[in-house]
Amino acid sequence: MATREEILEAIRTELAAIKVPDAETAEPETTWEELDVDSLDLVELVKALEDRFGVEIADADLKGIASVGDAIELVERLQGAAA
Amino acid sequence: MSDVVVTGRGCVAPVGVGADTVFDALLAGRGAINEEGLAPCADFDPEQALTPKEARRTDRFTHFAVTAALEAAAEAGLDENAVEPSRLGVVVGTGIGGLTTMQEQVLTWAKEGDRAVSPLFVPMMMPNAAAAHIAMKLGAHGPGFSLATACATGAHAIGEAKRMIERGEADVVVAGGTEAALIGVCVAAFNRMGALSREKISRPFDARRDGFCMGEGAGILVLEREEHAKARGARILARVAGYAATNDAYHITQPDENGRGATDAMTGALRDADASPQDVGYVNAHGTSTPYNDRIEALAVRKVLGEDTPPISSIKGHIGHSLGAAGAIEAVVCVDALQRKAAPPTLGLEEIDPDCAADHIVGGPRELPDLELVLSNSFGFGGQNATLALAAA
Repeated sequence: MATREEILEAIRTELAAIKVPDAETAEPETTWEELDVDSLDLVELVKALEDRFGVEIADADLKGIASVGDAIELVERLQGAAA
Repeated sequence: MSDVVVTGRGCVAPVGVGADTVFDALLAGRGAINEEGLAPCADFDPEQALTPKEARRTDRFTHFAVTAALEAAAEAGLDENAVEPSRLGVVVGTGIGGLTTMQEQVLTWAKEGDRAVSPLFVPMMMPNAAAAHIAMKLGAHGPGFSLATACATGAHAIGEAKRMIERGEADVVVAGGTEAALIGVCVAAFNRMGALSREKISRPFDARRDGFCMGEGAGILVLEREEHAKARGARILARVAGYAATNDAYHITQPDENGRGATDAMTGALRDADASPQDVGYVNAHGTSTPYNDRIEALAVRKVLGEDTPPISSIKGHIGHSLGAAGAIEAVVCVDALQRKAAPPTLGLEEIDPDCAADHIVGGPRELPDLELVLSNSFGFGGQNATLALAAA
């Protein structure tokens, strides 16, 4: 199981890989809106997180996911469910 | 006389970025075709015009187009209050679309399956992406679309933009063509057709020509209703005097043996410009360096303009054939020719094919102090032809 810090670091890395400005400085309270992350960015981020953490993120899981912290909690929850 | 004028130019070509840089290179006889017979825009940096994120999310054909469009918009002074946004249009085409993205994603899909396909595939590959991104950059809310007529795309886009202004649908239209198809599958395909030079030399109208060399790039003009340009104090660079589009309706790749489509396009453009053959001071030829095109184009030029033709040249000896961008880059070159009263030579042309007889510009540029009207020909696969008549401001 990855820690919150590891998931945060992974999200920063993956957002930087898709050239999201200021991805390295994202914090859990940073919102997608603040990062200018749109639905296409999210599709790329979701696949990268699935590959990294061995989870499956369904479209329904993404409902209400509006910030980096929301995404961290989602990955944690899915990891717990899979364990 | 048409009241559509040119107020901005932008160009990305294998010999450089920027309309003036490109024209200087052409006049100087500097070419950019490499040993493989390709003319890439080798030093081009998309991040001059786009943010890293925008550049990653767009195909190379969009990189070229946005770069050229921003240059043209800057020259025209299209800042925020220059044009009512709903009266600003964008018509920018591509012959092929996002082939870099297409090839890469098809290979990924075949190897790794559906889940590996990028969500950016469609928005990067779709042929209207370049026009869409230009509209976003410029805040253009007027008519916007792309069109595709293979190697005549850029000229058709400029011609249709002229019509759009004449119909009163827009005051200003950013128009042109873009192409980035120096991609394995596409080079292989043109080779298989026998369209590319086996010698890897582009020499339009030369007796030894044996096919074209592929290039890439973009050309953009800002077209504007004359009164609108004058009212806002914009500098008028040239006039889009005439345009005509025709179909060979003959063969999907070969031109009509009698040059009917080409002849009709030139005749139509002159009629639209309310000009006569003797007014033409320079012809910027389609001149691809294929055995068919050059012979039939020269025949058509002689039929329309007389055996004693005006000076003629093709820039495809310098920069190869950039397909959907070619007609637009050549229109930019024609604007420059009218401004500077000089035309570039046909690079590589040494032994003029007797079947291509005309007043070819060879060896160096030609000073044309009385130049008032030029024709620019573009003939696409599919037999779709466009001729633009551009006049001095």
